[in-house]
Amino acid sequence: MENTLKLERVILNLTQDELAQKIGVSRQTINSIEANRYVPSTVLALKLSEVFDKPVNDFFKLTKDD
Amino acid sequence: MEKKNFIDCERKQFTKLLKFRLPNTFMYVGITIAALSIVSMFVNAFVLEGDNHWLKLLSQKTLLIGMLIMSISKDKIEDEMTIQLRSQSYMIAFIVGVIYAMFMPYVEFGVSNMVHNGGENYKDLGDFQVLLFMLMIQLMFYHNLKRYR
Repeated sequence: MENTLKLERVILNLTQDELAQKIGVSRQTINSIEANRYVPSTVLALKLSEVFDKPVNDFFKLTKDD
Repeated sequence: MEKKNFIDCERKQFTKLLKFRLPNTFMYVGITIAALSIVSMFVNAFVLEGDNHWLKLLSQKTLLIGMLIMSISKDKIEDEMTIQLRSQSYMIAFIVGVIYAMFMPYVEFGVSNMVHNGGENYKDLGDFQVLLFMLMIQLMFYHNLKRYR
């Protein structure tokens, strides 16, 4: 799974900390998702979708390995 | 209908039990208890005279309680990732603990007999040793997993 979370966050001019506070997780969790080290749950993905006002598919993509 | 309610009730109780964690402030309580236990172990070993077997046992129990409180205390920011990391650390601690309990007595026996002829007899590990080791591994791995997340 790969994502464009960092790009979406920069578009909204949010820091990792601000985005983390908006969806109720730690900054390190956002950092891990952006670095593709952690795949978030559906709940978290939907929360991100709400913040970015975009469908989940727009910023999370399946890779060949998935 | 009644059976369904019963199953739902059981499921809710089970989920509640699985999600049980102490508040973050308990982490400091756990650290204090563990630290005091270690201090009392040193006092018992180097300061007090005579056989204080009860103090040794008490210190061991309180050390385990302190570490258990540390282990089940929440983080300042508890999210799904920390929950996953905690689960991983418990899994690792369980596996390593079982391996330790199985092989450590043989290692102790072998080393003891290699160092001096006719060393210690073979003896199994005590519950304190195994539990302490498992709690240490859990706390250490959880800390490291959080650092490298």
